[in-house]
Order: sequence, then structure tokens, then C-alpha cells
Amino acid sequence: MKNSHDVPALARGVRIRRLDDGSSVLLIPEGIVKLNQTAAAALELVNGTRTIASIAGALRDRFAAAADSIDADVLELFGKMNQQGWVFFSSSTDSHG
Amino acid sequence: MNAERPLSLLAELTYRCNLQCPYCYNPLDLRAYSDELGEADWLRVVDEAAALGVLQIHFSGGEPTLLPDLLVKLVKRAHAQQLYSNLITQGTFLDDGLLDRLVDAGLDHVQISIQGVDADAADDIAGTRVHDRKIAALERALARNIAVTLNYPLHRRNMSTVAEVIALAERLGVRRLELANVQLYGWAFLNRNALLPARWQIDEAYAIVRAAESRLRGTMEITHVLADYFEQYPKPCMHGWGRRFLTIVPDGRVLPCPAAAAITSLRFESVRHRSLAEIWESSEAFNAYRGTAWMPEPCRSCPRKQIDFGGCRCQAFLHTGDAGATDPVCELSPQHVLVEAAHRSAREGTLIPRRV
Repeated sequence: MKNSHDVPALARGVRIRRLDDGSSVLLIPEGIVKLNQTAAAALELVNGTRTIASIAGALRDRFAAAADSIDADVLELFGKMNQQGWVFFSSSTDSHG
Repeated sequence: MNAERPLSLLAELTYRCNLQCPYCYNPLDLRAYSDELGEADWLRVVDEAAALGVLQIHFSGGEPTLLPDLLVKLVKRAHAQQLYSNLITQGTFLDDGLLDRLVDAGLDHVQISIQGVDADAADDIAGTRVHDRKIAALERALARNIAVTLNYPLHRRNMSTVAEVIALAERLGVRRLELANVQLYGWAFLNRNALLPARWQIDEAYAIVRAAESRLRGTMEITHVLADYFEQYPKPCMHGWGRRFLTIVPDGRVLPCPAAAAITSLRFESVRHRSLAEIWESSEAFNAYRGTAWMPEPCRSCPRKQIDFGGCRCQAFLHTGDAGATDPVCELSPQHVLVEAAHRSAREGTLIPRRV
């Protein structure tokens, strides 16, 4: 089960792409998923070493949003992406995230 | 008519294929496509597609790996243009060398089909001894850093093997399984009586798929392409004509749907003569059924017209002779009796193999 110390990574065959109009999409096998601003920002921070907590922290700084709502949103986002098979997790061994 | 941007391009490099699957959606007059588009034109088309806004390119056919050098070059060009590339193949030529070249070129995803769960049943459909080679290709692809989908076409003869193919996919470690009820176009339409399942087969298979989907959530994604003849409403074919998708067939003509060449009332233009953007935006064929203004009743006043877009134009043409008719699959269609008649005609029978 995912928690904020999990490290998300994009699954094979899943790529994020920024479009000319500034919006982002997730390119998946045989499909295209439009991303909202928060989802795009969160997924662009996925690098295989950052934890969900550190991604949420970076988004808090960027969007000046309330900590609780961002943490919950980001956790929910990665949970959904994991259910879809677009993101998988490894547990963090790096406490610095 | 203002055209939206296309998102997805299906590039059918050749209609040649070493298999003879009787449910192929390719056209019956395969020989008419032998003047195949060359490398320079295809490379230009990839560039034009990217400029037009296309984000994904699917390489198919026929069997696209019959042209390995062209395929690798096109994947490389697509990757350079930031396009997501997908190879749709039956896998018989997917050896280590070609797979490595494709992965190096930037291929994102490969979809490999099998025709049955064991060699005898599969090879009987394929018309040649290939099943074991295809499984080997699937295993090779799964061992590489690339997304892999196992595609399993479903029809009257193999509908009872759904549970077995799910078990096979689990054994092989497949993460994406596409269970695709055969869509009845081209050779499949010719063979529709022997391919169309009985309703009890569909009900049984759907129950198995639903149970497997929930059991395997997070482990294996199952994509289920429904049999539209059994649905209440038509499929949202291509998400609307000339709206998201375009197909280039081997001779360079551009179609709004892979099966559209069957619509003899339309003339399709070729990338040999006009740019992809011009064909997409202003060709008569692409504008014929774009939007909703063309729709007859009951589509015109239907609250679902932006959901299913009137269904499939090719299917309307194949059954009614009018590509502008409501898809007869829809139970609201005045010609729905044609689909009911197709159900009554379905029975075990001889399948005519796809041949050039």
C-alpha cells in the first residue's frame, strides 16, 4: 500500500510530455491522458528517487497551498496512477527523499 | 468546418503478411495496395504528423516487421519528433536483433497478438505454424525495457478460451492484456457468420473478464474491446470522424478510420499529392462526417450524439449502403433489424483465410 515514503516511478511505456500550449499529457500504451496542473507538476517531479512526501513538499512551495490538502491530493493521485498501472512504487531507503 | 487537432496516427506500412487470419480487418482487395509508399514519403509524413499535433504513432499493417529497415528508421524519426511510438505486430519476425534495434530507436510499446492458447488452435487460425515463435517473441519483448501488450482477438471459435488466455498471460508475466472482440470489417466482415459469437458466449466471457479484472488490479491491466453487435449503443468509433485519429494505408491514402476504404462513396486523398495537414483539414472525405451536422435522425436529436458520434460510418455503409446512416448496431437505428439478422445468421462454419 502506498504511503508518503514510497518512491514513485513511471511504468515502462509511460511518458509525460509538455505541449506547446504549456499543458501536459501522459502518453501511455495506446492512449493519451490529459493532466491537470497539479498532476502534471507532480509527475514531472518523478525521477525514481524522490518520495511522494518530497514531491508534495515541492508542490506546496510552488503553489502555496495548504499542506494537508496537497499531501492528500498527491497521495491520491499516485494511488490512482498506480491502480492504472502507470506508476509503480519502491520504498524509500533514502530518508532525504 | 473547423478541424480539431489529430492526436493519433495509424501508419499501415504494408498489407503483406505471412499469416492468413480470417478476422483481419484489412480490405479484401489487398493487391490494390502493392504500390507502397517509400521511405522518403513516410519520413516526411512523420514530420508532418508531429507538426499537425499528433502525439502517438502506431505502426501496423499487414505485418510492419516485413519492412524492418523502414520500421526502425520511422521509429527513430518519431522519437526525434517526441512522438510516442507503438508497434502492432504478430511477432513472427521479432528476433533479438530487430527488438534491440527498435528499442534503441526509441520504441515505447509493442503489441503482440496470438491466435489461440495452444499451437494447434492458434496455427489453425493463422493458417501456418507460427504460435511457438510468437510466444518466444513475446518472452523476448517482456525481457526488455519496453511496454508490452499481449493482444488476443476473440470470436466465436475461441470465446471459451478467455480464462485460459488470462492464465497464460499471468504465467508469462504480461502486464497488459488486450482481449479484443473481433470487429467485423474487411475479411472479418466476409467471415462474419462464422466469427460472430452467440450471446451466451459473450455473457460467459464478460463475466470471466470482469472477475479477472478485479482479481488482477495493480498486477495486470486488462483492456476489453467489446463486441459492439451485442451492445445497446454503438461504439464511439474513432472518437468521432476526423476528430482525433487518422490512418495512412500502404499506398499513401489517408483515411479517417482504418476500415474506411470500404466506403466506396468517398474518395480518399494521398500524401503523395497533398500534405497531411491539407488532407486532414480540407479534404472532402475528412469533412464528410465531421461534427454533428451530417447526422440523420435519430442521431440528430439524440442526447448521446457527442458520446458515440453516431457510431461507425464504415459499419453503417457495410450494412445499409449509406455511410451517413445511423450505425445499425444502435438499437435506436431504424435499420437495427440488419444487425439482428446478422445474429440469426451466426453459426459454426468454414472461415475463409485472408489471402492476397
